Amino acid sequence: MSPRLKITSYVIERLSALETNECTGCLYGLMYDGTLLVVGFSLELFENEKNTYSQLLLNLPAEVELCGVVKFGESLTTGTTMKEILQDVDITDNPLVMIVNEQKDMKAHFLVHDKFEETKYDILSSEELWKQFLHVRLCTVLPLTCEATINGVKNVMQNKRKKIASGQVSFHIDGTSVYLFGEVSDVGLTGTSPDANVGELIDSMNPEQPNKKKKHNTNNIEIVPVNLVLKATKDMLSEKLLKTAVKMMTTQRKPSFCISMPLRIDTLAIIHRNTKLLDVYTVLVEAACRSLRLLESVLIEQIGQEGIGDGAGLRFPEAFHYLPPEIGHFITRVVPKGIPDESMEKERHNLHEQLGLSEKRPLFRRGNAYFAKSNTHLINPHEAIPPLPSKPDVTLALVRGRYNYHHYMQDNLNDDGWGCAYRSMQTIFSWFSRDGRYTADIERRVNLGNSVNGALGKLLGAKNLSQKAQLAVHNAVLVPTLTYGSESWVWKKEHESRVNAVEMQALRKICGVTLADRVRNTEVRKRVGGGVLAHTILGVEYNSVTNETRYLILDPHYTGTEDLTVVINKGWCGWKSSDFWNKTAHYNLCLPQTKPMV
Amino acid sequence: MVRIVNSPEYCLQYLEQYATQEIFVIGLILGQSTSARENVIHLARTPEEKCSENTSEASYTLEKPESSKTLLNLSEAWVADHARHVTRMLPGGMFVQGIFITSDEDVFEDPNCFSKVKSIINHIYKALNSNPYMYGNCPYSNERLILHMSTSTKVLTCKSIEVGATKGTVIKPVEWKFLPKAQQWQRLDCYYEFDDIYPVIVKKSGISVKHQFQQILESAHKTIESSVMFIDGELKDGSEPLEQLIKKKKTKNNPKTVQNDTLKSMHVSLFVPFENSLPETVEYLECDGSIHFSGVVSSSVFMYPKATVSEAIAAVKQDIIRSLASRFTMHCDALIDDNLLPEEKVCFNEPPRRVLVPVGPLYLCDYLFPGEAPAEALLSSRELLDLQITEADVVCDVETPADTSEFDALDRDASSEELLATPQEASQFMYITGICFAMFVLIVSIIVHYYDSIVEVFSKILSKS
Repeated sequence: MSPRLKITSYVIERLSALETNECTGCLYGLMYDGTLLVVGFSLELFENEKNTYSQLLLNLPAEVELCGVVKFGESLTTGTTMKEILQDVDITDNPLVMIVNEQKDMKAHFLVHDKFEETKYDILSSEELWKQFLHVRLCTVLPLTCEATINGVKNVMQNKRKKIASGQVSFHIDGTSVYLFGEVSDVGLTGTSPDANVGELIDSMNPEQPNKKKKHNTNNIEIVPVNLVLKATKDMLSEKLLKTAVKMMTTQRKPSFCISMPLRIDTLAIIHRNTKLLDVYTVLVEAACRSLRLLESVLIEQIGQEGIGDGAGLRFPEAFHYLPPEIGHFITRVVPKGIPDESMEKERHNLHEQLGLSEKRPLFRRGNAYFAKSNTHLINPHEAIPPLPSKPDVTLALVRGRYNYHHYMQDNLNDDGWGCAYRSMQTIFSWFSRDGRYTADIERRVNLGNSVNGALGKLLGAKNLSQKAQLAVHNAVLVPTLTYGSESWVWKKEHESRVNAVEMQALRKICGVTLADRVRNTEVRKRVGGGVLAHTILGVEYNSVTNETRYLILDPHYTGTEDLTVVINKGWCGWKSSDFWNKTAHYNLCLPQTKPMV
Repeated sequence: MVRIVNSPEYCLQYLEQYATQEIFVIGLILGQSTSARENVIHLARTPEEKCSENTSEASYTLEKPESSKTLLNLSEAWVADHARHVTRMLPGGMFVQGIFITSDEDVFEDPNCFSKVKSIINHIYKALNSNPYMYGNCPYSNERLILHMSTSTKVLTCKSIEVGATKGTVIKPVEWKFLPKAQQWQRLDCYYEFDDIYPVIVKKSGISVKHQFQQILESAHKTIESSVMFIDGELKDGSEPLEQLIKKKKTKNNPKTVQNDTLKSMHVSLFVPFENSLPETVEYLECDGSIHFSGVVSSSVFMYPKATVSEAIAAVKQDIIRSLASRFTMHCDALIDDNLLPEEKVCFNEPPRRVLVPVGPLYLCDYLFPGEAPAEALLSSRELLDLQITEADVVCDVETPADTSEFDALDRDASSEELLATPQEASQFMYITGICFAMFVLIVSIIVHYYDSIVEVFSKILSKS
């Protein structure tokens, strides 16, 4: 019997929007509960390089496998490439063949005993997808020591995969006492009942979470953090127990080089909430093996290059997970640490092309990564607002990409009353930095600012010029110098403080105070006076019938804790009508500009 | 509260046996202290100082006739050395807890004697502290026991003094109890497996075996300390007493048959988590080859049944490290040359393996070098533990000697590879054959040259005869 078929709305939308000259693509999916769920596809572009789909599979979360072929055109003929791909489908006995014609009509067929059987399919909405499925994230560090040759790396990586697949490892779900064991042990898991499924465990992990809050997190992606432990003792009862006492063998081989580094495994798997914890073990083993293969390819690629002999050439492979909003599944990339994003444009270009993504904006730069390091700020709070019922004559435009919600009182800085413009800028900068597009030329900027300060030195602080005039000069000359092109910066903490220092220097001059006067920065800012109000507009909604416009506002004047419920319910982030704006105030409108690139 | 120490009754007989002979005897108190109770397991008399040893250990008392052996002319270093050797034989969780003395003078009253006792205790402390991986000093308490039995009155007194203290020593009374019934012990077993490869880093001084072992020990210590321990396949609460685990199990399985064999061993498994704190850097080293360290360390520790799970876990971890450190020290002590020669392409080091020696209801351990018979273990246990056991008592099969065939195969591989790899060796062979051939030619040419005279000489000899 062929399985039931579901396709995610992401795949349907992408296929409908796709304009391509390629005639075939691969479909990726996962099996659960007798159902095949198609979660993604790629285009078969590179006819010369074989098995590009098997390479791409390593970038997908574990459990997602090749499940069939998508064909663009009218007829249901099988070409040679298609046959080859279909042979590689292991997940089901009946590979899927989808046909997308010019009118974007989609038909799905299962290949049953070499015959096509058309089949109906259901569309799984994105809300349902994130509600029913969750991700397991395995993070661990394996020490790696091996000879610095391609064979050395290959052997040691193969051994590591063998070891992980041998059942000797155990997985520990962070924050619980749940350990999952392999076949070597009698018990499959400890710490919870053997029949428990993943969803139950997650719910028990955060029991305090009220249902009210849950409502806001419709598109929240649940991640189960998992750690790996290796069994170091032997099974006493095993008949094959070898009790050879410890011994040491030293092999000398001169001259040789070796690599010693931690292998950081960071990998994802997608599983249905109803998956039994006992079955998660094999999923995690597969996830770990995929990660090891990715790491291996990055290491080997580097060793294959020249100039490694000096030792400085080999770079630490780092894993990044991306969740481009269009494709609705994770893509994991492993890149050598310290290699600038600019020099890896070709790889990204290929990936965009392979996944049929637009090349207007970057999706796989480091800054685009889904998991930002140690971030305490709320990300994209507006996504928690219940979606408005869509009306035909309403046009809606929303912010694309991700940003941090910066507001008053954050980072132990009491800026209540004056920092709204600054916080709004932070929010915008975070959007740029998460866009991943730009690298910094902060250094040059700060130097320029300093020289401007020097040039203005005589002017600023002059007795015969009013403070207001001086501030105008400051705003007209210094601030633009400092921040011109700043939309193209990746804003970092240290940059911020450097830019601030230059600005404060100027502001102090305007006020006629020096550092020796011990007047606080905040006081200086108050004395010169800032802008009246600042807000960030995240979206605009225009009703062509009533001619009304509404704005999705992110308000930096919020002084509370990072609580999404409060932010949403009290309207710190929400839709406002046009009378929200202060009629008497003068507003400058800033629109961040970007240019197309990958 | 007075510290209470529980001792098996045979220790009393042991003391009395020496006290009645009215000779001065000093020895070590071996035991385990847990939060629940402190137990002594054995008293081991320090062997008599050998004359040769005495002279070699300079600066200490001159040789004295056997009869006049007293506390005051005893070498502290000798006792400390004994403690060091005995610690190797103790499983994890067991320590040298102090010393016992049988003598006619009261060691606590006589100031000379007491300062000597203090000095001995401190010497032991220092000696045991020299190698942290031996876990020589009990980490839970700094108070060491002094047990004295007067040979004249047969009165037993026990006190404790603090070691490592900077200020004056505090003497505390200790209550020493003899238990009429044998103490029950909970045994925990595991086999810890090693299978690691380390790079050999280039050093001008050559490759030291000792250094290699030290490297392994450090890394093993780090790994084992960070590992998570399961008892009988389950993660237990650290504060729970071991006893409780057995009871729970019993009631779960078959509540009717409550047997008395609480000494059924528990199986321990260790899981190593990988640290997330490693620096994210790639080290690229020039190296001289690699070390492959493999095999198992069998571990059997004995805990007072009321001891907690976390105490048991600490004991198992100590046991594995201590056993490794003991083997390495013994192996290195026995080495003639510590440095590996560059010509040795493959070098195989087989440290002694562990055997178990019964002491009362539990086992201490000893180590046998490859090729040694269990009788060797008898000798050392007789000498160091003052233990009278037979060869059959020694449990020799907890570990097996390394399989050398495996090594031979590797050796062959490596050497054939090396022959191909290094042209020098090949040329050496050519060189020798060349010389042989030249010699041969030389001899032939001599014979040819002096052919006539040789023939003449031979004919003369022949004609004479």
